[in-house]
Amino acid sequence: MAGIRLIGLEKNYQVEERMLQVLRGIDLQIPEKKITVLLGQSGCGKTTLLRLTGGLEKPDAGEIRFDTGHKTAFVFQEPRLMPWKNVWGNVTFGLRKEEIDEDAIHRIITTVGLSEFTRAYPSQLSGGMQQRCAIARALAYEPSFIMMDEPFAALDYFTRGQMQKELLRVHAQTGSSILFVTHSIDEALTLADKIAIMENGVIKAEVEVPMEKRQRDLMDNSFIDLKRKILLLLDR
Amino acid sequence: MKNSKIGKILPPLIGILALFAAWYFACAAGIFNAYVLPSPQKVYSSFLKMVKSGELLRDIGISLGRVLKGFGIAFFIAFILGMFRSLIPAAGPYFEYLIHFFRYVPPLSMIPLLILWCGIRETTKTVIIVLASFFPMYLSIVKGFTGCDQKLIEVGTSFGYSKARVFFRIILPNALADILVGMRTGLGYAWRAIIGAEMVAASTGLGHMILFAQQTSRTDKVIVGIIVIGFVGLVTDRLFGWLIHRFFRGMAGNGWD
Ligand SMILES: Nc1ncnc2c1ncn2[C@@H]1O[C@H](COP(=O)(O)OP(=O)(O)OP(=O)(O)O)[C@@H](O)[C@H]1O
Ligand SMILES: [Mg+2]
Repeated sequence: MAGIRLIGLEKNYQVEERMLQVLRGIDLQIPEKKITVLLGQSGCGKTTLLRLTGGLEKPDAGEIRFDTGHKTAFVFQEPRLMPWKNVWGNVTFGLRKEEIDEDAIHRIITTVGLSEFTRAYPSQLSGGMQQRCAIARALAYEPSFIMMDEPFAALDYFTRGQMQKELLRVHAQTGSSILFVTHSIDEALTLADKIAIMENGVIKAEVEVPMEKRQRDLMDNSFIDLKRKILLLLDR
Repeated sequence: MKNSKIGKILPPLIGILALFAAWYFACAAGIFNAYVLPSPQKVYSSFLKMVKSGELLRDIGISLGRVLKGFGIAFFIAFILGMFRSLIPAAGPYFEYLIHFFRYVPPLSMIPLLILWCGIRETTKTVIIVLASFFPMYLSIVKGFTGCDQKLIEVGTSFGYSKARVFFRIILPNALADILVGMRTGLGYAWRAIIGAEMVAASTGLGHMILFAQQTSRTDKVIVGIIVIGFVGLVTDRLFGWLIHRFFRGMAGNGWD
């Protein structure tokens, strides 16, 4: 199966003379065109792993192997919009002028529900709208891989559910590969083809979620069983 | 709409009128003698005379030219140095302490040296204005250039931006608000330096006009000069503000509102 292979990734940070081992040998296969969810406690190294995989930082040891050519876009934990650019300017921020396909951009902006706000500036948007704009910016880049770091963490329950649906729809349309970080088990179960459970800088377990995405009912017994299994894995 | 416009103009107008009224009544009551504080009417008639003879307009033009020249040069240097600090952070320490040293040296104290080095013609006057307006602009521009949120820069990196593209598309626009605030402060300082600059053997300009009026005991002319400098300064400030508003409409605060 094509995708990204992480082999023995290690990363240390120097914090006040002390060596902090954040990643201690990560082995993970991130399959192509699938949603892989990284699940784990705060501070276990999820963001670090995402940054290494996306090439924002270099590992101290190990290897990141891409089976095919790749173009990576990030959705950070915060929206990180340019305050001096309006929604249109932010969404097209990753593109060169000659790469901008106006129709495609309009479609993406409509997808994230911001078509009425194309000329609005980030300060005029709500937190959730800003996050959606950041997602549109990543999509407009037409990446083959999208790294998403708790993109919905700041959203309320309703918007979160809506955005998860939206993400699944976009994913079905574009067929990009997604590495998605969260610490919500329900979110992982809603989105994932595969859940990688992280603890203390290693991948503790990998759980396949084979159920059809559009019909996922987390109240269903199969999901409750899966949830119990994951909770057991997370519980030390 | 009309109401809000009146509401905008009325308070400043009342402030100005109150000042003039106080001035007028103080003179009418004879609290000060006419040499210490000439009456508004006297100042106004001198003003008219100076306009008619053409000397006032000529002085305004000359001073404005000097201010803009000094301000422009100071801005250019401050911008280049600030950009340097942002693009090559390691270059900073080489000139940073020198700049802060000279920041504390009053431009007027440099006049004797400047006259020796640059003579008594335009160069010295320009240098004084540059010295006066450079530092506030430099501080503001450096703050803008070096204060960019690393997280925004990383957005550029994540899209594969080159260093130059990060600068022009993220660092520069991000610094714009601070740069504009710096320009505004710098422009004010440039105007304030005009007397010092035109103390140096000038025979023209508003600064010279005021100094000359002082020597000939023409307090009325001094006051005309002060009012004109303040007024022209205010007009240039508003003109800049208007231009900036046109160019950066809708953007986050630019400090010129
Ligand atoms: N730039 C850095 N310098 C020093 N230490 C760092 C740095 N980045 C991360 N760390 C440390 O690495 C560890 C893992 O951080 P990371 O951000 O990857 O956690 P996380 O799993 O994403 O947590 P959260 O769910 O809270 O976002 C933390 O202990 C953190 O202190
Ligand atoms: Mg994190």
